Amino acid sequence: MKLIAGVDIGNSTTEVCIGEIRENGSFRFVSGASRMTTGTKGTLPNVFGIKQALLDALGAVNLPLSALSLVRLNEAAPVIGDTAMETITETIITESSMIGHDPSTPAGAGEAVGELIFLENLWRGKPGVPYIVAVDSRFSYEEAASRLNQFIPELDIKGLILQADEAVLVENRLSIRIPIVDEVRHIRQIPEGKMAAIEVALPGTSIRMLSNPYGIATLLGLNAEETRMVTPIAKSLIGNRSAVVIRTPHGNIQENVLPAGEITFHGDTDRTVNIDAGADRIMEERSAAGEIRDIEGQNNTNVGNMFKRIRTGMADVAGDGGEEIRITDILAVDTLAPVTIPGALAGETCMEKAVGIAAMVRTRHLPMQKIAERLEEELHVKAVVAGVEAVMASLGAMTTPGTRLPLAILDMGGGSTDAAVLEADGTVRTTHQAGAGELVTMLIRTELGLESRQTAEQIKKYPMGKVESLFHMRLENGAMRFFEESIDPRYFGRVVLLAPGEMLRIEEDITMEKIMDVRRDAKRKVFVRNAIRALTAVAPDHDLRKIPNVVLVGGSAEDFEIPEMLTQALSEYRIVCGRGNIRGTEGPRNAVATGLLLSYLGAGKDR
Amino acid sequence: MIVNRPSIMIYTDHPDKDLLKEICAGIEEEGVLFQIVSGNGDVDELAHQAAAESMLGSGIGITGQQAAMQMSPLPKGHNVFELIQPTLRQCRDLGANSARAVKKMPFRSLAGGSQ
Repeated sequence: MKLIAGVDIGNSTTEVCIGEIRENGSFRFVSGASRMTTGTKGTLPNVFGIKQALLDALGAVNLPLSALSLVRLNEAAPVIGDTAMETITETIITESSMIGHDPSTPAGAGEAVGELIFLENLWRGKPGVPYIVAVDSRFSYEEAASRLNQFIPELDIKGLILQADEAVLVENRLSIRIPIVDEVRHIRQIPEGKMAAIEVALPGTSIRMLSNPYGIATLLGLNAEETRMVTPIAKSLIGNRSAVVIRTPHGNIQENVLPAGEITFHGDTDRTVNIDAGADRIMEERSAAGEIRDIEGQNNTNVGNMFKRIRTGMADVAGDGGEEIRITDILAVDTLAPVTIPGALAGETCMEKAVGIAAMVRTRHLPMQKIAERLEEELHVKAVVAGVEAVMASLGAMTTPGTRLPLAILDMGGGSTDAAVLEADGTVRTTHQAGAGELVTMLIRTELGLESRQTAEQIKKYPMGKVESLFHMRLENGAMRFFEESIDPRYFGRVVLLAPGEMLRIEEDITMEKIMDVRRDAKRKVFVRNAIRALTAVAPDHDLRKIPNVVLVGGSAEDFEIPEMLTQALSEYRIVCGRGNIRGTEGPRNAVATGLLLSYLGAGKDR
Repeated sequence: MIVNRPSIMIYTDHPDKDLLKEICAGIEEEGVLFQIVSGNGDVDELAHQAAAESMLGSGIGITGQQAAMQMSPLPKGHNVFELIQPTLRQCRDLGANSARAVKKMPFRSLAGGSQ
């Protein structure tokens, strides 16, 4: 009897698979395990993780390390992925000219126009002039209401802006009905004496006048040129429940289009594309350029800096220095990023157009041989580097029930999406494309404006629910889940992520629907696009329809919705596509490790 | 106040008037109705009774400078929030939270609340 182990070192996890060969030559899988990869893939610190994973797998069947007679390592694909994001538009409001936010309880409804005046200066007000009154939070709601009621008979008060969260309290004590916006943090920055328009939406709707450039023009009496200038304001107010627009005649509100810059692909043909053109055009040029040697960004532009950052980051990872870092593929996606508007009065953000890019660097061969040597020293077991990752993955994927040759695999990991086609005659074509899980995480994080990358990662991984009472929650698919014990009040009314064994609270105040939209959209943008791109590259004659079945393997294939998205998208090409089930038991994991064992058998008994 | 309207119940036993007023303001700002009833007992008892009595299942008990918020059907003593010698700000937020319980909105944090 002989025990051999297959070891697959990935970007994020190290997987092992252990098999037994009997004297009569029959073969049986014994055990498997997976561990976090220690250190960067393909470097010596990996040894520690490999050892742990081997101990796990052997421990499960009560065998010592010394029982192993051979360890087979994969030749890891020499690609490293990285991501970057750059906004390409920017709204700048140099004089505070707008307030637009969603206080939870504004009061009144409708729109009003008037001259801005602070409550304490109201005694100076002139009859017949329409006023919008700004109230500092040092006035209590009772004080504010009684002062206002005193002036209401003589002055024409049209609307209120409050600093405190007291709109309803003030409204209930006023003798007239006017729109009131509250929770305006920087109320002291309001320029007194300027004209302002204020709008509070009817319940259940969002504002209509102030989110429309012509609406602002109507209320504030603007000419065509001025209307053009307020368009970015209108744009950033869309969807709010209340808003204030203040007319500052010299208010320089502008939408600066930053010099976004050009990307140049050096490939079979050189192609240049401006990043402004959007992700679709960039990707068209990318495929028109054919086999890529390197990709560059124009110097001193946003995209130039972005590529420089990626290169520096990669140089750190790739390590061995001296070698030139060449970016061999990118995936660009359009996205929106909330950016705080400088000078806004309630901390408003504006959704700016942005492009997210995943880039991939092909390094020299990773020093796998060194890892094998170190492993041999530490374990006193023979270790060899055997087989190319993609080929091993294909072999492992073949153990999925219901597959046949030619078989394509799609390995979706953290940094790159790899595809391989294994033909009936044994030839294998492979490709590595930039863009996978990491890019999805980045898109989720920027589009939702999340503080921590970890929250974005968790949103990507786990389904959600909203805690609706202390005893039940509504899941994202509409189902209800009840609890015996009351849920901790800290979770009440919140969107929570259902991680195995615990609930994770999302700190940001974002609705479940919004999170779900962003999450699905990000996955679709990255994975569906990349799957089609990668499969086209390896398909016979680059024709997708010539691939009969695709097996999804790798970390992202374990996702709770990505495989379904791909199954749907690829069914258009009449491809059978689904999550792999390695050896009929392992799910999409362990394909490479399994392939390493199978290739050992296939290579004959002479070894 | 008309009885039988869906409102948050506030059970009081010699409450601090200023604190009570802030609690009411907190509920009012959130646009929910409330009703003040005088009773007797400790703060756990008052809050539990208030929540049990409220059609909305949300109640507050206040006695002296102690206040607690309860939601039915939590057992007595399992207050959702409890304040001893709170600041005015904390009382405002406690009131707001009792309303937010009805509106199924996330609670505000009552920690530290200085102002």
